[in-house]
Amino acid sequence: MKTNAETLTQKKKRKKLSPLARREELQGYLFILPWLVGLFGITLFPMLFSLYGSFTNYDVTSRMDFIGLRNYTRMFASDPLFWKSLYNTLYYVALMVPLTTIGSVLLALMLNERIAGMRVFRTIYYLPAVLSGVGVYFLWIQLLNPSSGLINTLLGWVGIPGPAWLSDPMWTKPAIIMMKLWGVGGGMLLYLASLQGVPSQLYESAKLDGASAFRRFWHITLPMISPVIFFDVVTSFIGGFQIFQEGYVMTDSGNGGPMGSLLFYNLYMWNQAFQLFDMGYAMAMAWVLFVIVLLLTLINLRMSRRWVYYEGGED
Amino acid sequence: MKSTRFFSPLWLLTAALLLLVTACTPESRSSNGAPAAGTNDDGSATEKVTIDFWTFWGSETRRPIIEKIIEDFNQSQDRIVVKHTYLPFGDIWTKNLASIAAGNPADVIINDYADVNLRASKNQNTNLSEYLSQDDIEKQFYPELWKNVLYNDEAYALPFNTDTRLLYYNKEAFREAGLDPEQPPQTWEQLEEYAKKLDKKTGSQYDRVGFYPLWGDFGVDSWLINGDGGNGYFNENDETSINTPGKVSTLEWLKSWQDRLGRQTVDAMKADFGSGVSDPFISGKVAMYIQTGTYNTQIEEFGQDLDIGVAPIPEREEGSGHWSSGGGFVVEIPKGAKHPDEAWEFMKYLTGVDAQKYWALKNFDNVANIEAAEDPEANENAVYKASVENLANTKVFQVPLSASGYKDLINPHMDAVFLGKETPEQALQGAEKDVQALMSKSK
Amino acid sequence: MDRPVPPASGRENQAIDARRIPARRRRIKPSEALLFVLLSVGSLLFLLPLWWMISTSLKSPQEIAQYPPTFIPNEFHFENYIHTWQAAPFTLYAFNTLMLAFFAVVGNVVVNSFIAYGFARISFRGKRLWFSVLLATMMIPGFVTLIPQYVLFSKLHLVGTYYPLIIPQFLGSAFYIFMLRQFYLSIPKELSEAAKIDGANHLYIWARIVIPLSKPALAAIAIFAFNGAWNDFLGPLLYVNDEVLYTLQIGLQSFRGSVQTQWNYLMAGSVIVLLPVIVLFFLFQKYFIEGMNLTAGTKG
Repeated sequence: MKTNAETLTQKKKRKKLSPLARREELQGYLFILPWLVGLFGITLFPMLFSLYGSFTNYDVTSRMDFIGLRNYTRMFASDPLFWKSLYNTLYYVALMVPLTTIGSVLLALMLNERIAGMRVFRTIYYLPAVLSGVGVYFLWIQLLNPSSGLINTLLGWVGIPGPAWLSDPMWTKPAIIMMKLWGVGGGMLLYLASLQGVPSQLYESAKLDGASAFRRFWHITLPMISPVIFFDVVTSFIGGFQIFQEGYVMTDSGNGGPMGSLLFYNLYMWNQAFQLFDMGYAMAMAWVLFVIVLLLTLINLRMSRRWVYYEGGED
Repeated sequence: MKSTRFFSPLWLLTAALLLLVTACTPESRSSNGAPAAGTNDDGSATEKVTIDFWTFWGSETRRPIIEKIIEDFNQSQDRIVVKHTYLPFGDIWTKNLASIAAGNPADVIINDYADVNLRASKNQNTNLSEYLSQDDIEKQFYPELWKNVLYNDEAYALPFNTDTRLLYYNKEAFREAGLDPEQPPQTWEQLEEYAKKLDKKTGSQYDRVGFYPLWGDFGVDSWLINGDGGNGYFNENDETSINTPGKVSTLEWLKSWQDRLGRQTVDAMKADFGSGVSDPFISGKVAMYIQTGTYNTQIEEFGQDLDIGVAPIPEREEGSGHWSSGGGFVVEIPKGAKHPDEAWEFMKYLTGVDAQKYWALKNFDNVANIEAAEDPEANENAVYKASVENLANTKVFQVPLSASGYKDLINPHMDAVFLGKETPEQALQGAEKDVQALMSKSK
Repeated sequence: MDRPVPPASGRENQAIDARRIPARRRRIKPSEALLFVLLSVGSLLFLLPLWWMISTSLKSPQEIAQYPPTFIPNEFHFENYIHTWQAAPFTLYAFNTLMLAFFAVVGNVVVNSFIAYGFARISFRGKRLWFSVLLATMMIPGFVTLIPQYVLFSKLHLVGTYYPLIIPQFLGSAFYIFMLRQFYLSIPKELSEAAKIDGANHLYIWARIVIPLSKPALAAIAIFAFNGAWNDFLGPLLYVNDEVLYTLQIGLQSFRGSVQTQWNYLMAGSVIVLLPVIVLFFLFQKYFIEGMNLTAGTKG
């Protein structure tokens, strides 16, 4: 990992380009060229369009007049549902991201052992991540049944009276988070791949030094997979803010669950855009979300310097 | 070394498949909303126009019915060919919006009855007044449905089908409880009395619940219409009528059902049946149940032994009215469609007596065309007949444009009542205030 | 959290690399037995949804409507599967979906690894800026770009074809690029430096050193990309106009009517659609047991 001073000197050095550095430069752009083509060909226009749209009363089919900051002021000053949906989403993200990250790392560690039937186990634990669609939601509705559901039955065995998960606004979000935890297979796969990159020599020498399993995990495994943890955390934040479907499939209270406790940001945005056709407002909401996620990512990035270890150096 | 060997056959396959995709392209592009008026479609001398028709009827039961209607239309004349495309429910309208924005929409689409005025105000569907001045077909539809296709007093869609909610009851359970199976409850009072008799318990556990008003397909909104003399959340002048004495007492009454059964029982049952997989009425867990007319076909299919009766929704007190709620779908021409004239011809056929009669007979679905709905052949089915009669008591409301999205504001208050967090009076007061705030902002 | 000790460069420790020790009958340690039991119990919970799908798929409609739901069907209606497959042109849909998934896998694996290499292992001016832009493109919710994107493809006369679904797969995905960059950053620099001194260019290092070393990550991307394309629903629905070009997920929706859902057929279809995903995952697992072999790249 480079210190700031080192990066600075490197930057200065780059001002005058030697022929070798110029070749390097050219190759760099050559490598990212496909992405640049996609950016300018496909991605950028819709993004900028939506940015401009956020300052208009765009409704897709009849108008797009510039209205300045009106969408933004309406959102912050006089839309209680905006704040509610933001609160719901933040609540969800704040719990979901750490829990699923820890969950998938633990699962990956367990599934990285060499024991009988590991291929089968891995497949089974990955399954929920690919099971999509209504079937899964309906299964969870059954599991979460307050009187006959499996979860409250298990809780009952240890003497805890389980809540009415999907009818009580206090418990709807924890219920959704639980469901997400069960689908950590995607994250698990990621960590499994990353665990394969930890040179086994490291473990062997640590073992010879008499390091305990926990110390080996803490001092070798964790730093070595930290770049992937960082990736997972950043993208989980981004993905977490996009939670959408669960808000209406899981309960029969219509859009947004009991007392709007599952009215997530994106669900509210979707309703604005595609039910009420207030696309300009939805676009403004999207860009507010953009800023929130951007800030979180920057904080993440700042903090990552302290805990993310790049074996190959960052720059 | 290994990696290159691994990839090269893949590249070959990729190239081959890309060629295949290219080969597929011209065919699919021709159906891309801009067909050159089908000049050489079948080599015949007449110029045929192909129009695109989007529906969400792709199931094994509905698809053959709509496609038969289309085929009949295609056969009935030699100028227009209708091409049917199935698009999944809900998403069909997302695609509709995108395609209108891009200028390549379908020529005819089935859309939701509820927001015809909203779509009209947004320039998403085509004004039909000009066509209607030539073909005056307004009179063939139920007036309650016709009201819903108007925006500024001009029609932007034609009603296609509708639905209405009825009280289904289990005659076997009635006999068991000593009730006359030919005398369904008429008033709320009777409904409660019957329900108590029909309850079956072992210990504190319900084996059968006589009735619970909010299970089935009749939500708080519908009950508020029923209990408030057929009035919805808004009156004819687009003013709110949410916090009315009738609605307050209706909400109190609904709450009393939950108090009687206990929230736990209600929550548990809701979780059991909320997913719509197993059915409490067909399984005999509930003796009276409110559902749409077409629910009968499910009973016939899944619960053959069930001996059932249907009745209008009980009224609050004698004379207050057996009000029910309805919905349905309309046919419209998306704005920017290439062939609106031909689309109109097809729409006329689709909402005409023959097509509507066929639809009703095959689906036992309520159709918008009065003559077709009252056709004796379909009315041989008792439940269908009852549903057609029930249309007279059925309210279908248009939401004022300024109140679009009001449900997100009202629903939390209604939930709060059943969670014991607000009294019915507080809830309706709060809801009225919130909706009025929304409407004043939108104006 | 501490930095790890720098890895002892491969060679001298090779003798104690566990994988090099000839296979022998190992005693099962108690900790392994415990893990086995733990994983087995957990599996039951994770298999529950699959079982529920299979069991529902074999039931008659009458049985599905019954309450309480039966855990094991009273009668097994295997013919549901045949019925499901024939209810719509599913063979055609399967072919279409497979084709789209194929492009998604090839495109994403190759192109993203190429782009990510540029971001991870080459220094050039503006890299930080471009990488920030890349991250930013992930942060804007897709709903609001859906319509402008559709209009864009429509202006390019590509609506009604598969191109709007295929072309983007070959232009890099921010998510996978970011992911692979993280992987590439943890590959020791010494490996590529050595090759560089030998005069190798980046293309060579990418193809001969980095790709072999990142097989597990690429396998993960292959799996993700396949699932993504296999389960994509809104994409094909928006961009394809002819039912001939529909995919499995759209076909499955036809069992969900506006009034009632044919649960047994929907679930039978879902099980069939799930099978290739399971098979693929099972096959690709060989890349997850290899471990990083530091010498693999240079020796070939």
